[in-house]
Amino acid sequence: MAKTVYVGMSGGVDSSVAALLLVEQGYEVVGVYMKNWSEDLPGMKCPWAEDLADAKRVAVKLGIDFEVWDFEQEYKEKVVEYMLTEFRKGNTPNPDIMCNQEIKFKLFYEKAMAAGADFIATGHYARVKDGQLMRAVDENKDQTYFLYRISEEALAHTLFPIGEMKKPEVKKLAEKHGLHNAYKKESMGVCFVGEVGMKDFLKEYIETEPGEIREMESERVLGYHEGVIFYTIGQRHGLYLSGVTGEVNDGMPYYVVKKDIKNNIVYVSKNLNSDQLWTKELQLKECLFRLGGFRSAAARELAPAARGDGPAGRDPERDKHSSISVRLRHRAPLIPATFDGEKLRFEKEIKRPASGQSAVLYDGEICLGGGIII
Amino acid sequence: MIYLDHAAATPVADKVLTAMKPYFAAEFFNPSSPYLPAKKVAAEYETTKGAIAHAIGAKASDIVITAGATEANNLAFTAAEGGILYLETEHDSVRRVAESLGGESIKVLPSGLVDLKDLREKITDETEMISISLANNELGTIQPLAEVAEIIRETKLDRMKRGIKKQLLLHSDASQALNLLDINVARLGVDLLTLNAAKVYGPKGVGALYVSHDARLHPLVAGGGQEKGLRSGTENVPGVIGFAVAIDEAKKHLKSNRAKYKEMRQILLSELADYELINRKHALDNFVVLCYDGLDAERLVFLLEAKEVYVATGAACAASKGVRSHVLSAIGLPESKIAGSLRLSLGELNDVDQIHTAARIINEVIKSEKDRIDG
Repeated sequence: MAKTVYVGMSGGVDSSVAALLLVEQGYEVVGVYMKNWSEDLPGMKCPWAEDLADAKRVAVKLGIDFEVWDFEQEYKEKVVEYMLTEFRKGNTPNPDIMCNQEIKFKLFYEKAMAAGADFIATGHYARVKDGQLMRAVDENKDQTYFLYRISEEALAHTLFPIGEMKKPEVKKLAEKHGLHNAYKKESMGVCFVGEVGMKDFLKEYIETEPGEIREMESERVLGYHEGVIFYTIGQRHGLYLSGVTGEVNDGMPYYVVKKDIKNNIVYVSKNLNSDQLWTKELQLKECLFRLGGFRSAAARELAPAARGDGPAGRDPERDKHSSISVRLRHRAPLIPATFDGEKLRFEKEIKRPASGQSAVLYDGEICLGGGIII
Repeated sequence: MIYLDHAAATPVADKVLTAMKPYFAAEFFNPSSPYLPAKKVAAEYETTKGAIAHAIGAKASDIVITAGATEANNLAFTAAEGGILYLETEHDSVRRVAESLGGESIKVLPSGLVDLKDLREKITDETEMISISLANNELGTIQPLAEVAEIIRETKLDRMKRGIKKQLLLHSDASQALNLLDINVARLGVDLLTLNAAKVYGPKGVGALYVSHDARLHPLVAGGGQEKGLRSGTENVPGVIGFAVAIDEAKKHLKSNRAKYKEMRQILLSELADYELINRKHALDNFVVLCYDGLDAERLVFLLEAKEVYVATGAACAASKGVRSHVLSAIGLPESKIAGSLRLSLGELNDVDQIHTAARIINEVIKSEKDRIDG
């Protein structure tokens, strides 16, 4: 008997083609629209109903069952609240990562399995091989950065049907099968924030007070801000300093180098070499690794011959020098680094990423897992 | 293509388009300008408004041109400060405004007709305005407005006897009915009547509000003081020209249209299989609302779309917003039946052959959907 797959369908071209491929591969396919968010924002109508209709139209075209699963309450609690809490603390969280961890690859996964699924599937650009999460064939589209926190168990029951394809092929296939989603404008950024942007979203949900912008070195007040949480370290645009955007006098830009949440002060500096902007080390928390994670990578890397005899994968000495590559943003280049379980070390200085963002670790094509930058 | 959704939109008729064309470029003048060519356009605009008014038994000065029926409905409610009653099955452009003004809804009977008993009970000395559409946009149900007007007349008499001066106006949204019913404001007994060009093969974004001398409106759009100060903004001359031709055509073909749609409706009802007819009685001849219990009407819409047959679920608007029809629940339809309801609305784009074909295709789609569920 054919295996049953519950595929998350968002109405976009990627998940539509994912569903199409599953049908062609002979699976018993059920399409599910996850209703995670439906609130409108000032100046932005949440397109959930149109997205749902787009997804359903494809399901009907493919002749598969289609259901709407309402996770709005859970999404609000697990993703939006988490995000707001982190922003309030001055961090820059990634809600998409949380959505995958808590909603798509947890609640959706669990509900699908309970409904009799053998697998779940999504339209992410990623691959699974031998239980490992692997980077997508389309390097430009690879979404493993967003998926690094999904559990071993969910991953073992997950299919990424378009992970072997490149985006243009996906679009072409959609067109060939008359899936109207091929022409749909691609959604950008965090789904519920949409086109209004994160700042406008946060303004709706977080009360902020205006405060001072000071120069790091001199403590001189250069201007005022609308709320510390709207700023990220390294930012140089959108600073209103003495009426001049991003620069004073000599035309050199100021960068945000420090956020003092307690006293509601944003610190800026012209010194591009400021220690606050660069680092060779990153401390991670809430690390999550699958299948032995970076340790198994260390074992492969340093002692291929020793594997299999003794606890090679757990040798703390080796772990210290585990050499891997790291991605600090979606689609950012991979940077070589070593990792000891808490600290990432880079050969050259890197621009310091915002706290709350994720560092995702790779061993070649394998996405080992990662952690949240402190 | 077989288009069975004329209640949602109608194509602009050739005659209408031809009449409108000169006013986009050659006769582009602003009617408010002082020189002769502009004055000529102003005169034509007024004459044309007169023709629209005449079609419903009114005068040009009784009509306010708006940018569509939604605006006309909104404007109508400026006549009341409170004390609003509205039929629970009204279109959102009435319902939302009435709700925002603290209006109370009047129940409908399972037939979709206004519950006159409920209406009588809800009228108080505070009631200023009652809004009941002439024909419902989801079911096509034609409301007995003359009876409502009679209740209003009795109420007014009673108020006068007791020395109560409060106004009591009857507003009706006639958007759906203009090309199927012979509309006369005096016979209907309305004080305010909403008309819509887009539903009668005229241009979109053009509507009109008939206003009796008893109703005092307040402008929603301030500016240059056009439309007697009730609707500022340079006059939409081509729109009004087109609207007048559309109404004229509708009037001329009222009887033949009704006969034609009656026949088509009958063909559908006899050739379609396994449905429940929702709007059995009192409906416009071009509305056929069917229920396929246990099926999902949205799936049917997409399956029919693939065969170039275009129909609506309960209400086009309701479906796209992901909300179930408030009209179908108001007439007491259970959730599963609402989910399985389709609205077919006939019009100029249809002929008898098409209707036979449509019935066959719908039957095939229903069968395939049932097979999918059983298999």
